[in-house]
Amino acid sequence: METITITLNGREVSGHPGMTVLELASESGVRIPTLCNDPHLAPFGACRICLVEDERSGALMASCVTPIAPGMVVNTESPRVLERRRAIVKLMLASHPDSCLVCDKGNRCELRRIAADASVGLVDLQRISQPALIKEVNPFLERDLSKCILCAKCIRADHELVVEGVIDYIERGFASKPATLNDTSLEESDCTFCGTCVAFCPTGALMEKDSPYRGTTTTAVATVCPSCGCGCGISLEVKDNKIVRCRPDMDSPVNGGTLCVRGSYGYDFVHSEDRLTQPLIKANGSLRETSWEEALDFAAAGLKRVAEAHGPGSLAVVGSPKCTNEENYLLQRLARCALGTNNIDNGSRLYSAASCQGLGWNLGSPGTTNTLENLEQSDVILVVGTDPASSAPLVGYAIKRAVRQRGARLIMADPRRTKLSTFAFLCLRPRVGTDVALLNGLARSIVEENLLDEEFVTRRTDNFEAFRRGLDQYIPAWVEQATGVPERELSSAARMFATAKRASIVFGRGLTQQSTGTDAVMALANLAMLTGNIGHGSGGVYALQDDCNGQGACDMGVVPAFLPGYQSVDDPQAVKRFAARWGPFSPSGPGLTAVEMIQQANAGKIKAMYIVGENPAATFPHLGLVRESLRSLDFLVVQDLFLTETARLATVVLPAASFAEKEGTFTSFEGRVQALRKAIDPLGSSLPDWQIVLHLAKRLGHPMPYTSLEAIMDEIEELVPFYHGAGYAGAAGKGFDRSELEASPHGAKRLHKGQFPTGFGRFSSVHYVPAKGTAGDGYPFSLITGTSLYRFGGGSRSSRATRLIRFLPEAAIEIGRGDASRLGIASGDRVRIISPTAEISAPVRITDTLSDAMLYMPSAFPQSPVNALFGVDLDPQSKTPAMEACRVRLERID
Amino acid sequence: MDEKGPAVDPTRIGQIVERYCDQRWPLIPLLQEIQNEFGYIPPEAIEPVANALSMFPSQVQGVITFYEQLYTKPRGKKVVRVCRGTACHVRGGKTILKLAKQHLGVEEGQTTPDLEYTLDTVACIGVCAMAPNMVIGKQTHGHLNPKKVSQLLGRTGDARG
Ligand code: SF4
Ligand code: SF4
Ligand code: SF4
Ligand code: FES
Repeated sequence: METITITLNGREVSGHPGMTVLELASESGVRIPTLCNDPHLAPFGACRICLVEDERSGALMASCVTPIAPGMVVNTESPRVLERRRAIVKLMLASHPDSCLVCDKGNRCELRRIAADASVGLVDLQRISQPALIKEVNPFLERDLSKCILCAKCIRADHELVVEGVIDYIERGFASKPATLNDTSLEESDCTFCGTCVAFCPTGALMEKDSPYRGTTTTAVATVCPSCGCGCGISLEVKDNKIVRCRPDMDSPVNGGTLCVRGSYGYDFVHSEDRLTQPLIKANGSLRETSWEEALDFAAAGLKRVAEAHGPGSLAVVGSPKCTNEENYLLQRLARCALGTNNIDNGSRLYSAASCQGLGWNLGSPGTTNTLENLEQSDVILVVGTDPASSAPLVGYAIKRAVRQRGARLIMADPRRTKLSTFAFLCLRPRVGTDVALLNGLARSIVEENLLDEEFVTRRTDNFEAFRRGLDQYIPAWVEQATGVPERELSSAARMFATAKRASIVFGRGLTQQSTGTDAVMALANLAMLTGNIGHGSGGVYALQDDCNGQGACDMGVVPAFLPGYQSVDDPQAVKRFAARWGPFSPSGPGLTAVEMIQQANAGKIKAMYIVGENPAATFPHLGLVRESLRSLDFLVVQDLFLTETARLATVVLPAASFAEKEGTFTSFEGRVQALRKAIDPLGSSLPDWQIVLHLAKRLGHPMPYTSLEAIMDEIEELVPFYHGAGYAGAAGKGFDRSELEASPHGAKRLHKGQFPTGFGRFSSVHYVPAKGTAGDGYPFSLITGTSLYRFGGGSRSSRATRLIRFLPEAAIEIGRGDASRLGIASGDRVRIISPTAEISAPVRITDTLSDAMLYMPSAFPQSPVNALFGVDLDPQSKTPAMEACRVRLERID
Repeated sequence: MDEKGPAVDPTRIGQIVERYCDQRWPLIPLLQEIQNEFGYIPPEAIEPVANALSMFPSQVQGVITFYEQLYTKPRGKKVVRVCRGTACHVRGGKTILKLAKQHLGVEEGQTTPDLEYTLDTVACIGVCAMAPNMVIGKQTHGHLNPKKVSQLLGRTGDARG
C-alpha cells in the first residue's frame, strides 16, 4: 500500500494516505494533547489544543483535522506551538469556574491536565459569566455547563454513536451551550440516560450523579456488561473493594465507546444490602445462616437421598444465562454425571429456545449468523418482534446508525409502535401472534415477483419446491385479512427486502415467546435464504438475547436434549466422546425442559431441584403453579446472589458471587466469547458459581479434576466444535487475552463462507395457526410484554439497582387512548389486570403506541410480575412457554 | 409577559415542509420560508421540519438559534433598532435605549404584547454623524432626544401594560 512519509519532531515516520497528523503522531508514540478529538468520533477541530507547527510554512494547524502530506515537517512542541496552546488554555479557563479543588472530575479532568502541562495556573483575564448548574432530578447524571469548554464531544457522541439526538448547541457566541430541545432538563427530553456523553466529556461539565466515591480511583477493570446479550465492554472503577463507577471500555471492539443506562448505572446491585453473604439452610421452617461445610454436606446429602429413593429421573437442574460458560459447562456435567439426569435446562428457554431450534433446523446454526458490524452495513433491516432500543440497546444504536449515516432502510414489524419506529421507512403493524402469516406473505410475494436469489437457492439450499408449494395460500389479500397489514405495505416491504444488496433480519422475544415461536423463526430463516442473505457479505439473521450469556448457556449444553455444542444426547458417538473425558454417564434420551420440570414437580414426579441463578418463582409463567410446585419438592437447592422469591422456598441457599467478583467467559448474541475479569473480591463468604459446583460435585461422589478455570476452558475448546480456534483456550496459561478471544465471534465464523455447517440450508414449510382464545370470552384485551430499558434479566438484580429503581419504581400497564376513554381510565389510575390464570395490579399509562384492544406491560418487575398472568402453553417444538401475549380484562381500582 | 405567539396552523407548516423534502440542502431555505409565512419560526414547526429532513429536533433548534436572522418568537410589525455604536454611545445612546424600553414597556429583544413593536439593538448603522440614531422599520431617525423618541414611540391611548 502507498505510504506517506513526513518528518515529525525531526524523525521520519510514515503513514497511509488519509491519516491525520494526530493519528500518525500517536501511532509513532508522540503525544499531542487533545480536547475535542476522540477516535470514536468524527474529527471536529474545535478546540485547537492539538496545534502543531509546519516548519516549512510556519503555519499552525490543528493536527486532528490535518491529513498528512508528503514532505511535511511537523513540530509538535515548537515554542510557537507551546505559546499558542497556553493562550488557548487561558481563554478556556477564563470562562471556567475556579472550582478544580472541589470538582468531582478531579484528576480525570483533561482540561486540568492540559493546563498543568502547559503551566497555566489561575487566569488573570476578565471572567466571563457562565450558566449555572441545571436542576435535574434524574438519578443518573447532572450538567454543570459553567465547566463546558464547547468541545461538542457530548453532542457528537449523542448524534454519531447512540443516535438519540437529545442535545445540540443552542444559541451562538458566549451564550452557546449544548442543550436539549427547548433547553429543558434531561428528564423532559428524549434522553435515555445512556451515559455515553458523560463518558466522553473531558471536563466536569457532565458528571455521573451521586457517585459513591468522588475521587479518582487507581484501579479500573475491563470486563463485560452483565445486563443484556450484547456483551458491551465496561470498565469498572474500584475503590476499597467497591465499584464506584462504570464507564464504557473504550478499547472494546464491541461497543465503540457507548453503553446504555443499564450498563452505565445498573451495576450497583452488586453492593445491595440484600446480597447473601452466608449459606442458609432451612430448619423448622425458617432459613438460618450456616457454614459452607455444613451447607454443602446438607445439599449433597439431600440430593443423594432423593436420587436413591426415587431414581435420578426425579432430579432436575436449572442453569443460568447469567452464569459463565465454564459454570454452565460444569453444571451440566454435574447433572449428567453426578446426578445422572438430562433434566437440565436454563432460563433462556423462556425466550430463546425457539430461535436455537428454528435456526438450528434451517440454517444448522443455533444463533445469530453474522456480526453486529455486518448488521450496520446492511441496506435493509427488518426488525420483527423486538424493540432493540430497550432489549438490546447496542443493537438499537447500530440500526439507527445504519439508517442515519448509511441511508439503510428500516422495516419494523411490531404490533406496537416503539421509539425506533421514527427511524423506520416502513412500519408494519401485524396483529399479535400473526408473524408466521406475515413472514410467509413476504416470502410468497418475493417468489411471485421472481425477486428471489435463484443462484443461492439452487446451490446452497434444499427443499425449496415443497416450501414454495406451501406458500400458495399466502396471497396478499389473505395475509391482510390475517395480520391486518395492508396488501400495499406487504408488497412494498417484500420488494424492498428482496432487492436490497444486503438485507438483515433482527428478531427477539416478541417472536420467540409465542406458542408458534419456532415456526416463526423458521419462517424468518426461510426469508433470509430465499434472498441469499446468509453467509459472507450478506445481511444475516440476528437473534437478540436478553441475558448476558443466554447463547453460552445453550452452547454449553445446559439444555435437556444436547450435550455441549448441540451434540445430541441420543448420539452414541457424542456420548462416548464426552464419557471419555467425564467417565461413563448413564442418562439417555432428552430430559425435561424448564417449564416441564415445574409441571412434573407439580405432578409429584420431580422431587428435588438444584436451581442456579434463576428465579422461576418470579419470572416463569403461571406463578401460582410454579410456587406451589416448588413448595411441594422434597428438596430444593438454590444458588443466587439474593434471597429471591425462589430462594425463599429452598431447603439450602448457597450464596453466589456476582459477575464483578469472578472470572470466566460470556458468549454474546453475536457469538463473541469474551472474558470477565474480577474487579472486586466476592462479598461476604459468597463464592463464584463454578467453585460451588465443584464443591458440590465432589460431595456427590463425582469429583471433577479441574484445577483452574483454564483447565475447564481447555476441555470446552476440545469438546465443543465451534469453540475450537475461537482463540478460546489460547487463553490458558497466559491469563485471558481479550484481543485473541474477541477476534472472532464464533457465530460469524460459522457461516461466514456461506457454507452451512450441514452443507445445505434447509427450507421448511411452516404454517400460520391462529392463536387460541377469542375476544368474546370475557377477556377483551390482548396483553403483550417486552423488556424495559430500566430493568434487565428476570429483575432480581435490576430491582436492586438503586438508580434504576429510583428512576422507574414500578411498571405501568400501557393502554391506547381510545380504550382508556371507553373504560373511563385516566393515566395514573390503578387497575386490576385479570387473566384466566391470575391477576395483578398496576398503574395505567395512556399511550399512542398501541392499537385498540392491545395492552403492553414490561416484564422483570417482581412486584407486578406480568408473567404471572400467562398460562402454561408450550410451543410444541421448543417447549418455550408462550409469554408474548395473553388475553386479559381490566378493572379499575377505586 | 407572555411571549407565546398567535395560534399557528399546523397544516400550513406541513404544506411548506413538504415542498422542501426532496431538496439537497433544504434546511435554511425551508426555515426562511416558514419565517416568511409566520413572521418567526413557531416551536411547533421544529418537529415536522426535523422529521421531514431526517434530523433531530435539537439540531434544527441549534440552527435556528445560531442565525440571528431566524426568530424563535413572534416579531412586532415594526422592529425598533436602537444603535449602540460608539458614536451613539457617547451621545447618549444608552438613554435613548432606556427611553425606548419605557415607551414600549419591553426589554431588549422583546415584542410588545399587541405584536406592534419589537425592540432590538444594533452595533452600528453607519450614520454616525446623526448620532444618536435608531431605526424603526426601514426608516432611520437621527439626532434623537427624549422628546423625539416620545413622539416616535409614545403610543398614547393604547393599552399596553
Ligand atoms: S445520556 Fe445518552 S441519550 Fe442522554 S444526552 Fe447523553 S448521549 Fe444522549
Ligand atoms: S458538556 Fe463536556 S463534552 Fe459537552 S461540549 Fe461541554 S465540555 Fe464538551
Ligand atoms: S445492557 Fe446491553 S447494551 Fe446496555 S451496556 Fe450492557 S451489554 Fe451494552
Ligand atoms: S483536538 Fe484538535 S481541534 Fe480539538
